[in-house]
Amino acid sequence: MHVPDGFLSPATYMTAYGLAVPLWWVGVRRLRHELDAETLPWLAAVSALCFVLMQWSIPLPGGSSVHLSGIGLLAVLFGPWVSFLAVSLVLAVQSLVLGVGGVTTLAVNALAMGLIGSWMAFGGWRLLRRVHEPTALVFAGWLATVAPAAVVGVTLGVQPLVAQGEEGEPLFFPFDWEVTLPAVVVPHALLGVVEGVVTWWGRSAWVRLRVRHGE
Amino acid sequence: MKGKQCRWAIVGAALWSGVAAGHGLHYEVSRAEAVVIRLSYSDGTPFAYEGFEIRPEEGGTPVLVGRSDREGRVAFLPPRAGKWRLRAWSEDGHGVDVVFSTTEREGVKENNGGRWDRLGQAAIGVGVLLGVFGVVQLFLRRSR
Repeated sequence: MHVPDGFLSPATYMTAYGLAVPLWWVGVRRLRHELDAETLPWLAAVSALCFVLMQWSIPLPGGSSVHLSGIGLLAVLFGPWVSFLAVSLVLAVQSLVLGVGGVTTLAVNALAMGLIGSWMAFGGWRLLRRVHEPTALVFAGWLATVAPAAVVGVTLGVQPLVAQGEEGEPLFFPFDWEVTLPAVVVPHALLGVVEGVVTWWGRSAWVRLRVRHGE
Repeated sequence: MKGKQCRWAIVGAALWSGVAAGHGLHYEVSRAEAVVIRLSYSDGTPFAYEGFEIRPEEGGTPVLVGRSDREGRVAFLPPRAGKWRLRAWSEDGHGVDVVFSTTEREGVKENNGGRWDRLGQAAIGVGVLLGVFGVVQLFLRRSR
């Protein structure tokens, strides 16, 4: 789901940076109020888990691959703003250390996965948790996967419209959204079920661990 | 009269065959040294049958457009030494945008890491992440 460098037009990624920078600032301000020295090690551990999950590619029939993200888990454990910042940090380390994703596309990836993924997961969980907690957690994980995939699919798919050469040829990503949207969303809709189970399992393990530590 | 018609028919046929030959396509099989770029997903699965293009780094018309082979390979015969930009993409958003150089002797070997390199990089990434959180922890303790 990480959009690499060279796939998006400057108009797209500069707009994304224009949106992301103030949102990162809001996130940092909220982080200072919501986090304390006791919670931070837990956030570090879950963020590291997200980093590892994003590194683990799951091959798909037809040659492509997808990966889990742990964003649903981050969102339900720490709230959407903290999750947004943590995912942004994970993506920054990935792009700068591993060359996965991209530097120019960092804001697009952070907004899609970190912001929209976290808020959708958090909202889905809050909506259903009074009805049935495990279902709410699976739904949160599913939303954390599918919503960013849809955003990435649309963002890639509009590139032939927003950046064309003199003869109308696409200058960046060449496929339109009618192709990209199903190509990105359908595999992630299946992966989202696994992400949902990971979110459910992770939240249960988190509750047990915190009880064991007397917190 | 019949003989005259026959002669015209032969001339016409000869002319027609000349025109038809203009649509023929010649081929020549030969060996040449190519730069081979192998594209794969991080788990090693070949980036097979996907579209790519290679242009001079400075831009301009693509010198090669096509699809990778079953093994995810792109074979490129550079028309001159220089720097080239390879862009490859699949419909679901995977792909690369890389610049590579070819020398006169084509002795180029570049890669961005195999599976074990990536494991090492992942370990470094986790270390960097925990380090960043450690610094934030120090600031939190100091400010309270």
